[in-house]
Amino acid sequence: MTRGSDLDAQVDEELQFHIETYAEDLMRGGMLRELAMRRARAELGSLAVARENSRQAWGTRWFDELRGDLRYALRMLAKSPGFATIAIGSLALGIGANTVIFTAAQHMLLDRLDVPHPEQLRLLEWEEPHPGAVESLWGWYDDGAAGLRSTSFSYAVYRQLRRENRSLADIFAFKNFGRMTATIDGQAAPVNVEMVSGNYYAALEVKPQVGRGIEESDDGAVGSGPVLTISDAFWAKQFGRSRDVIGKTILVNAEPMTIAGVNPRGFTGAYSAQESPDIFLPFSMEPVIAPDELSDGKQPLLENSSIWWVLVMGRLKPGVPAMTANAALNVQLKAAVRATMSVKNDSQIPRLALQDGSRGQNPNADSLVKPVAVLMGLAGFVLLLACANLANLLLARAGARQREMSVRLALGAGRGRILRQMMTESLLLSLVGGAAGLLLAWVVRNGIPRLVSHAWNPPAFTARFNWPIFAFAAAISVLTGLIFGLAPAWQATRVQVSSGLKDSGQTATHRRRGLAGKAIVVMQISLSMLLVVGAGLFVQTLVKLVKTPLGFQSHNVLLFSLQLPEAKYPGPASLGLLRQIEDRLAALPGTRSVTLTTVPLISGNASTLTFVPEGQHYRREQRPAVLENTVGDDFFRTFGIPVVAGRGFNQGDTPTSRKVVVINESVVKKFFPDRNPIGTTVYAGWNRPYAVEIVGVCADAKYYSVRESAQPTAYMPYTQRAGGLTEPNFAVATSLAGEAILPSVRDAVASVDRNLPVLDVRTQDEQIAANLQQPRMFADLTAGFGLLALVLASIGIYGIMAYSVSRRTSEIGIRMALGAPPQRVLRMVLGEASWMVVVGLVVGVGAALALGRVIASMLFGVKSWDLATYALSSALLILVALGASWIPARRAAGVDPMKALRHE
Amino acid sequence: MAGDSTIDLLQGTLDMLVLKAVSLGPLHGYGVLLRIQQISQNRLEIQQGSLYPALYRLEHEGWIAGEWGQSENKRRARFYHLTAAGRRRLEAEAKKWNQFAAVIGTILTTDSA
Repeated sequence: MTRGSDLDAQVDEELQFHIETYAEDLMRGGMLRELAMRRARAELGSLAVARENSRQAWGTRWFDELRGDLRYALRMLAKSPGFATIAIGSLALGIGANTVIFTAAQHMLLDRLDVPHPEQLRLLEWEEPHPGAVESLWGWYDDGAAGLRSTSFSYAVYRQLRRENRSLADIFAFKNFGRMTATIDGQAAPVNVEMVSGNYYAALEVKPQVGRGIEESDDGAVGSGPVLTISDAFWAKQFGRSRDVIGKTILVNAEPMTIAGVNPRGFTGAYSAQESPDIFLPFSMEPVIAPDELSDGKQPLLENSSIWWVLVMGRLKPGVPAMTANAALNVQLKAAVRATMSVKNDSQIPRLALQDGSRGQNPNADSLVKPVAVLMGLAGFVLLLACANLANLLLARAGARQREMSVRLALGAGRGRILRQMMTESLLLSLVGGAAGLLLAWVVRNGIPRLVSHAWNPPAFTARFNWPIFAFAAAISVLTGLIFGLAPAWQATRVQVSSGLKDSGQTATHRRRGLAGKAIVVMQISLSMLLVVGAGLFVQTLVKLVKTPLGFQSHNVLLFSLQLPEAKYPGPASLGLLRQIEDRLAALPGTRSVTLTTVPLISGNASTLTFVPEGQHYRREQRPAVLENTVGDDFFRTFGIPVVAGRGFNQGDTPTSRKVVVINESVVKKFFPDRNPIGTTVYAGWNRPYAVEIVGVCADAKYYSVRESAQPTAYMPYTQRAGGLTEPNFAVATSLAGEAILPSVRDAVASVDRNLPVLDVRTQDEQIAANLQQPRMFADLTAGFGLLALVLASIGIYGIMAYSVSRRTSEIGIRMALGAPPQRVLRMVLGEASWMVVVGLVVGVGAALALGRVIASMLFGVKSWDLATYALSSALLILVALGASWIPARRAAGVDPMKALRHE
Repeated sequence: MAGDSTIDLLQGTLDMLVLKAVSLGPLHGYGVLLRIQQISQNRLEIQQGSLYPALYRLEHEGWIAGEWGQSENKRRARFYHLTAAGRRRLEAEAKKWNQFAAVIGTILTTDSA
């Protein structure tokens, strides 16, 4: 730009010099000054023309041409506002949809930890074939045929690895510990806790924004570091970002701890990039704050070398490649395992594998990759449909502008120039559409997190609109502009100058034109078929899921959980408290039944139990297991699960009486297929199974998700749970809607212990809805996509048929003049539409079948090649297509031959 | 003004003439005009309006290079000189022109057979 004006000034100066010097020469020959100047100027020609020509010679002309193109394009669009609105509107929807899904996808899958150089981080993972040395695990694991994989290590192994490490810059450990209760100024609040090693902040190179991070000195002897750091969000919510939070003492699980620092905004810990824990504690405080966690009464968790639970990460050392570090650490891991655990002869030692740590454990990744990919694919198809529509519309317009193009060509414009001008128009449309789409996505940005969060939890993240999103929207805008602008632009430049300038631009029998448009419509119909079938399958999946019998009564059941501080209610003391709460709740008016349930139903949580009937013997690692739920006496009544044999639990089941268990029918089918199990003794438990007696059999009920069928499940009474419970869940069956009774529930709990906040309040129906959130979201989105596809396809078909009819007006006139009845003309036009539909349907069915293979695992209760769905979708598309072609067909049949022939 | 003795300039030869004029020494635009008139002994008339576009085109192609300097009448002017590439171009164009002239000459001097 500036170069242009510089050059302008330069040219001016040169020309001025030329004029003056020439004038001087003339004056020396005797001419008067004024005359000389005028003559000089005249001979040099108009200064402006000279400047223009000079500019052209320089080659900066393209910029002026671009400006001219843009102005022209704007004028053309302003002249047809209807077309512009449809074009920009459909583009905005297509690009907006894609941007929204990309935002969610980027956050859920791609976001990295907010630390310096996250690509240097490595997460330690191990794999051991069966039977393996590691038996007790808390954390993520993947148990396949090849063996067991996990990222959890024992604390002792971690310490040794850190001591012996020479290949990574440093090794640190952390654990997403779960929930605890923090009491701040007398108010109790639930907090999510991440436990970290002393070198965590140093190794991650994270600097707190206020105060200090956890340091080595805090992670020494047990209880020596009663400090914690808090997240930025927690700081804002609980302390209003006041700086005198440093040094403040709060209670964590009733233990006093001092706040030492606040994490920088955007730091979410090392576990995941999506959610941040509220507080961070050193491992040294674990035995003080959570002494009962996974303890078998003898050893605190930190010293128990057989339970593997901490996550370990390290930074690569410059100069040491990852493979070298991997090999070195593998050797050290083997040595550490042998040193800290007793390993049986035939047990396999775990083998180390370094994984990418830039996203932490990234707990959501595995389960979300495919759904996100499918959604992006579908959104991409919708955008393609919008592009196809626009390509057709532009083709039609280009056809109408043939004369203009011919004139331009005759006046000397190169074909490249015309191509450039048409592409400018397309790109202008697509960029405006893209901007509108981005705006649309921004408007609904608060809805994006709700796609992936639960109804009763605050949304997991706030959708940030950062550069990758802008870049994405810009990229697809440009791409769509190029795609749908190319066909019409190419078509326009193939115009023959001579025929275009003639008045009758078309001969009556010229049939070849329009093939491009028809091909585009066929593609649109195929895509619509694909999207409609997809929508049909996902909607049916949702309906089937909602209707599927659960095996228990879910209506009017209120759920909530409590967090019991272990220091205040150690072990068995918690049982008495829970009994009190159960009684108070049962006494409330409006409650039908109350129970405790350690595993809330359909929550995605699970607990398993070793289950060995008496008389059977298995090797330790091959012992059978069943799902387990520790429940209250009234569990079966509360959830309406019938007890089909024997009894449920009652007051007689106390800590001192005989241990009992109730099993479901699947357990009977699996373990006792041919005898009555009542009265049989079974060895059940976690680490050390003990004898229990089967006293009852109940009907099957779904356990952790609606999709999964009921599995063998065993129920135990919580009163016989020796270790007590710290995170009980309660279910209250009410006679009226659950929310009405909530205040009295809170009061009842408060009357037992004022400092116990009631957490995670939701109804069982809401819990189930949360479990169905993904299928619901898919059903909603694909139904929307399918509808959009039908609308776009019908617009496309209408457009192409109307255009085709208008071009063939003279041909139709001739036919009718020669005696063809209007019906014949109607059939001819409809026939033309029909073959497009048929070809489109055939291709669409093929594409839908291919899609079905991909999404088969996401469906429920309906096959991916469900005949009814395909049949209905085809019928719907045929209806829409014929409906869209009806009006142009009618218009063709209504052509007045005289007028048509005269309209040459 | 032009009499019958002046020859109309063939298209495309202006470039060659400018290059030749500048090859004899650096000149500003007006100076190029004067020199061409001078060495053609006033038989060639250059359209003044087409001079500067030709100069800028040649500069854009890299055959001449321009820089500001002081003219004889103590004013600031842009002087152009021939570059090495320009010299090669001038030789090539001159050679083509001579070949062209020779062919035409041969044709014109052929007696009717």
